Amino acid sequence: MSVSSESVLALPAASERQRRLFGIGMTAPGALATSVLVLFALGVVLFLGFRTNDGSLLGGAFTLDNFKAALTDPLYATVILRSLAIAGLVTLATVVTAYPVAYYLAFHAGKHRALLLFIVTLPFWTSYLLRVFAWKVVLAFNGVLNSALMTAGITSEPILAFLNTPAAVVITLAHAYAAFAILPIYVALENVPRSLIEAAEDLGARPTAIFRKIILPISMPGVMAAALVVFVPTVGDYVTPALVGGPNSTMIGSMIQAQFGKANDWPFGAALSVIVMLVILAVVVVARRADKRFGSRT
Amino acid sequence: MDGSTTRTMLRRAAGLATIIASLATPALAADKLTYFTWSGYELPDFNKSFLGAHPDGVEASVFSDDDEAFTKVKAGFHPDLAHPCYDKIARWNKEGLLQPIDTKRIKNWDTIFPVFKNLADIQAGDGKVWMVPWDWGNTSILYRTDLVKDPAPSWNLLWDKQYSGRIATIDAVHDTPVVAALLAGVSPFDMSAEELEKVAAKLREQRPLLRAYTTDMTSVEQSLASGELVAAMTWNASATTLKKQGVKVEFMKPKEGMLTWSCGFVMLKDAKNIDLAYDFINSRLEGASGKELITQYGYGSASSAAFALVPKEELDRLQLPAEPDEVLKSTVFTGPMKQNDDLAKMFEKVKAGG
Repeated sequence: MSVSSESVLALPAASERQRRLFGIGMTAPGALATSVLVLFALGVVLFLGFRTNDGSLLGGAFTLDNFKAALTDPLYATVILRSLAIAGLVTLATVVTAYPVAYYLAFHAGKHRALLLFIVTLPFWTSYLLRVFAWKVVLAFNGVLNSALMTAGITSEPILAFLNTPAAVVITLAHAYAAFAILPIYVALENVPRSLIEAAEDLGARPTAIFRKIILPISMPGVMAAALVVFVPTVGDYVTPALVGGPNSTMIGSMIQAQFGKANDWPFGAALSVIVMLVILAVVVVARRADKRFGSRT
Repeated sequence: MDGSTTRTMLRRAAGLATIIASLATPALAADKLTYFTWSGYELPDFNKSFLGAHPDGVEASVFSDDDEAFTKVKAGFHPDLAHPCYDKIARWNKEGLLQPIDTKRIKNWDTIFPVFKNLADIQAGDGKVWMVPWDWGNTSILYRTDLVKDPAPSWNLLWDKQYSGRIATIDAVHDTPVVAALLAGVSPFDMSAEELEKVAAKLREQRPLLRAYTTDMTSVEQSLASGELVAAMTWNASATTLKKQGVKVEFMKPKEGMLTWSCGFVMLKDAKNIDLAYDFINSRLEGASGKELITQYGYGSASSAAFALVPKEELDRLQLPAEPDEVLKSTVFTGPMKQNDDLAKMFEKVKAGG
């Protein structure tokens, strides 16, 4: 069924009122979701962070103690730094491994590009927990990796250091977020004007020089976007450390979860969340500054 | 768009809302009992007669720690029945989450061992109780007899540097911190601030040696079976499971005492399906149901009717005396902990390295 161009033209011009109603109708769902699900929720968290814990849902009275405790106890600084370090390593590992994949997709995949892009997103068809458990199977004491190493005669005893370590958390998260990094970098590489590359080739630039001077700088906004997309959610992750990390990989997300769960101290958990959000905000601001240097439009 | 079309649209929207509401309501008011319990406790074998009378009549959701269950219920999750352990009853009650259960409507109430029937915190007066005890069991160290040679019978095995990195412990306040308190010579159930600090010191000493703090008993069992772990704090169900699989394990009798706990059914204040809830409790207290609990998991039933159905050899094999009083002579009963919240906060900090 198609509408001919005449009939579209024949429609009476939309009245001012109609246009306004349409505008309101289109923005209302978004505005509602933003204000209820995001702003209101954030407001509650902020409010709760300044309350005393008397066991009730919204706390007893106003206080600064939660923030004082969180900021003066070195434990929380340690755990936040640990989370930043783990998330930083995950980001680095993800971006460094995603870049070649995206590069291949953008420049060499040819007619198989659609198929390869599809394969990149394939792991996301299964639940995140299943992927974590798959890594457990690989890294476990009697798992795939240890069995392979022993069969190959490289080790004689299973290595304990794979599972329940921060390294396991980094590997699992890096794999889980791979597609989130590949796609923005791929889009950035797609937008590198081919004419620039040809011009450089004509002028006798070697492939490494072309990569360093043209492709990498132009794709940098994509790399930055990928890094942020991976970094921000991984800082607060708590499922992965709980499943594959040992006692030394407790991240700040686990601590916040514990305050809302076992420890039954919601106000303190809210204060911790606010602090973590501010820390992430600071990191994002720094990253945006760096991003601007590469002429990003975002 | 003029006024009349706006009205038509509003009417249509209202109509649509009514349809959606009418679709949603039956789902909410379904006559199904909602039951919130420990993972593994939702087995249909435990309430066969209930399912016979009410096919598909129960909707279970599970938790792996009753402190987490408590916060979930407090935050607005309202099942009809829940299944916390005895040490938490006072806490649930203090929040006003429970309603008393009439023992006159519990057919097998008289078969429940007096030691559980007479627990202080479950008495609601006037023939009513806050919790109907259903199960009891022990917490101890499960160790590989081939990898740990003749250990001294003591909880200190979980603090033994020899086995650094090959030990796991339970991530719940009423388990690991209680044991740490016993070893520190502090009463787990009522302690001063200095004593709490002693417990914390004991827990800090253990942390570097641990492979994991966990409530995921399946993982612990697998790790013990593979030899990744040589010893772990577990409940007796894990001992039963691994012995069935032929893994060389032993459930220790520490000289400081195993921990003995008892759990049961509580009815939430705003339970909707009260009659179903009584039917369910009655079905679970039948001897045949308790027998499943004993033979499948090696946990004790709170009802003597269940023990009557299990042969003595089987009980001996499970190291489960038919008289809980006998067990309790040598074990530490996990009662209410006055400083539960402080202990929980402290334990969380120690786990994170503080």
